[in-house]
Amino acid sequence: MHVVVLVKHVPEPTATWSFADDLTLDRAAVEGRLSELDEYAVEQAVRLVESGLDARVTYLTLGPAKAVEGLRKALSMGGDDGVHVVDPAVHGSDALATSLVLAKALQHIGFDLVLAGMASTDAEMSVVPAMLAERLGVPQVTFGGDLAVDAAAGTVTVHRDGDDATEEVVAALPAVVSLTDRTGQPRYPSFKAIMAGKKKPVQTLTLADLGVAPEQVGAAAAGVVVRSVSVRPPKQAGQVVVDDGTAAAVVADFLVARGFA
Amino acid sequence: MTRGMTFRLLVGLLVTAAALALAGRRLHVLYRLGRLAQPVAPGRTTGAAAVLRAEVVEVLGQRRLLRWTLPGLAHLLTFWGFLLLGLTIVEGYGALFVRDFALPVVGRQAWLGALEDTVALLTLASVVVFAAIRLRHAPAREGRRSRFFGSHLDGAWLILFMITNVVWTLLLYRGAQVNTGYFPFRSGAYASEAVARLLEPLGERGNTVVEHVGVVLAVTVVMVFLVLVVHSKHLHIGAAVANVALARRPRALGALQPVRSGGREVDFEDPGEDDLMGVGKVEDLTWKGLLDLASCTECGRCQSQCPAWNTGKPLSPKLFVMGLRDHALAKAPYLLAADDAARAALPDAARAEGERPLVGTAQENGVIDPDVLWSCTTCGACVEQCPVDIEHVDHVVDLRRHQMLMESAFPEEAGIMLRNLEHAGDPWGRGGGHRLEWAEPLPFEVRVLGDDGADRLPDDVEYLFWVGCAGALDDAAQRTTRAVATLLHEAGVSFMTLGGAETCTGDAARRAGNEFLFRMLAQANVETLDAVGARRIVVTCAHCFNALANEYPQVGGHYEVVHHTQLLADLVASGRLTPVTPVETTLTYHDACYLGRHNRIFAPPRELLGAVPGVRLAEPPRTRERSFCCGAGGARMWMDETIGTRIGHERARELLELSPDVVTAACPFCILMLGDGVAAHLGPEPARPVEVTDVAEILLRSVLPARAAEPAPEPAEPAEPAGGTTP
Repeated sequence: MHVVVLVKHVPEPTATWSFADDLTLDRAAVEGRLSELDEYAVEQAVRLVESGLDARVTYLTLGPAKAVEGLRKALSMGGDDGVHVVDPAVHGSDALATSLVLAKALQHIGFDLVLAGMASTDAEMSVVPAMLAERLGVPQVTFGGDLAVDAAAGTVTVHRDGDDATEEVVAALPAVVSLTDRTGQPRYPSFKAIMAGKKKPVQTLTLADLGVAPEQVGAAAAGVVVRSVSVRPPKQAGQVVVDDGTAAAVVADFLVARGFA
Repeated sequence: MTRGMTFRLLVGLLVTAAALALAGRRLHVLYRLGRLAQPVAPGRTTGAAAVLRAEVVEVLGQRRLLRWTLPGLAHLLTFWGFLLLGLTIVEGYGALFVRDFALPVVGRQAWLGALEDTVALLTLASVVVFAAIRLRHAPAREGRRSRFFGSHLDGAWLILFMITNVVWTLLLYRGAQVNTGYFPFRSGAYASEAVARLLEPLGERGNTVVEHVGVVLAVTVVMVFLVLVVHSKHLHIGAAVANVALARRPRALGALQPVRSGGREVDFEDPGEDDLMGVGKVEDLTWKGLLDLASCTECGRCQSQCPAWNTGKPLSPKLFVMGLRDHALAKAPYLLAADDAARAALPDAARAEGERPLVGTAQENGVIDPDVLWSCTTCGACVEQCPVDIEHVDHVVDLRRHQMLMESAFPEEAGIMLRNLEHAGDPWGRGGGHRLEWAEPLPFEVRVLGDDGADRLPDDVEYLFWVGCAGALDDAAQRTTRAVATLLHEAGVSFMTLGGAETCTGDAARRAGNEFLFRMLAQANVETLDAVGARRIVVTCAHCFNALANEYPQVGGHYEVVHHTQLLADLVASGRLTPVTPVETTLTYHDACYLGRHNRIFAPPRELLGAVPGVRLAEPPRTRERSFCCGAGGARMWMDETIGTRIGHERARELLELSPDVVTAACPFCILMLGDGVAAHLGPEPARPVEVTDVAEILLRSVLPARAAEPAPEPAEPAEPAGGTTP
């Protein structure tokens, strides 16, 4: 069985982000990391193999040259190999274009089960797994809280936690499954595993390799246009009122001044 | 030759030959075991002058043993007793050959006879003291509080019994010698003469028999003693002498050692295929590490001081060392087996010992339980106490290194801290963007590198102020940072901070065993510090201090690092800061382990407090070198403390017994832990609130005119539980 995990190299969420002239995030100015939410999908794939599933685990990423670091991080957690789709034309792509490239890549490398995180921690769209399943014509199960694969039956079983109920969903393989951060704490790779991860094979593909035309992707092909970006002003420290007998009046004045009374 | 002399010589030499054969076989096994272990770091075996000084002070002078007066004195007497009784052993062996043997030159002088007898009696007296101590502090009576808890008690009693045997057999044959006329001393040996009077009724024949038998007995006892010593913890008689010679100087505290494999530092960029990463098997210890184990005589001084042990946790440094030693010896046949076939032929127990995991739960048949390994705060109280220079902290960290780097097995909460360090550069996971918030309330501008467009420290900057993660991000520590910045500003000391360019020094990662992450952080910081031209650095965190001053030289960073208490004490002494406003308060000072024990900074904080008019300083019972940890060191700050009681609460209880108005410390993590402990003891609405704050804050109140300092915060609220650091 071939399990492919979609991973994304995202800007460090705790770092200060800045934007380039074309209104995309300035990736060169900020450290990147494997999206924290994708680590859950990686963890589940590795656990499937550890629990006895006879599978090859491949990580697939689409991103600039530095995105290979995301693949290396995933490979340090386990798995067999990585596929990196890198092409300057991809810069500025939206979710539709991303799903197009990933779908072509998946068809190129083959798959039985595709796993993904529930969202990326930068764009937070959550839609790529659904678009992908649609493009590939396979079942999709999104926001799974756990994962079980029955290789003999060719099915994947997932529990989805909703507000009112938990659904048990079964899909025939091949399928696309996105997993939440409630599936289990991702492992912290040992140094030994990090060194082993560095030696695992990573294949690099371009749009031409996948038969995707440059016009189909990038900012120009995007369905939405970012018109402007303004940095949010830093949060102001709250005003502390020490009660020397007048606090009630100060608070009342504060509320009145803002139209709460 | 008379029949008596033939008997003496034959039996004496036979016994000696048998004992030497047994002892020699044992020593050969121990030697082979040592050869199997890792080589020591280069430089360990050099420095003759320092070795000589250590031997004189620690071995001959018994410095650390004498810190505990009565047992120390008893040990001093036994030790010197054995050295001097060595003369009587020579005399005893001489008497096997020559009936009236005497040592050359001084062998018949009265003073020597008197000295030998006195030493024999004093040795006997110290045995009585030891026995009394052992009875009084018997684990059966005192339980875990006893420093002998878990020690091999039978072995210890056997040795006391054997020492007694040495003394009485000696006096017996000497007394008989007096009566038969073969005693080398005409006068002086008063105890021997007293025994002689007791033996007199036996007549000449009787005394002759007693003399022959007595000499043989004395020699036999010494030989049995020798065999016992090399087969028991009393190996320390020899091992300790060597161990003191090879010890880390001035002490095995402060910097941790780099990860070494085969004696060489491991290159984390390009590690060798078979490089060891810490200690995963007992034979991964260096031979000096094994010598540490052999030197332990289970006295339990370490255990009595250990914050983990004293709060009901399973870790005792003594039991840790004993566990490793007993395992090493039990595994020796497995390790020394010539080949797999020989290994397969071993008894089941020996084979099983060979296959035990070094770290594992009781279920896994582990030698050291993970709860033991991860309970250590690396406070160094054990190392400080150990009379034979065992390097407990280094071994704990070496075991953690293997668990972390090779097995990725460690308390889950520590993983949050490690991820935060990797991704945000601070253990809370806040990120560099928040590192300047502490300075916002200050009425003056804090200079930050890069503000003036320059990428190097300007020439007028005297100190780089290393704020530290806690100092930048923790509320209580921010107050300290502001107090120090204000005091430097008042004193006219020009300083600059790195702002968002600073990241964690890596102290907690290193002490959790993650040398890889420590080196990444340290190398990045050294790169930054070198790029900006930093030379003199002032820090407020004891852990940052230790890393920057003691550990960064290992990654090529060489700076002059001062702790804020040192700098402020200098400024007060030189008159650049003048405490004027009285601060009428009773306060106590808690020595941070990484400031005090690890770095010997005891005086500056006390000088600061002493310079403030009105302050009454109450010292806690456990202070300075014997200060009791707050519970945050060794990356414990970032792990849940679920076993036993909380170390910080225990320390807070001790400090509150002094009825202080203020508990002071000089490390942000101590202040966090003690704040939590004080709040827990006082409850939500205390009748008399107790403030927990940094010494700099007290100085600030006195330097600034009354009421200009920041108002004291609300009495400490329970701090966030350790590990509660979800990003």
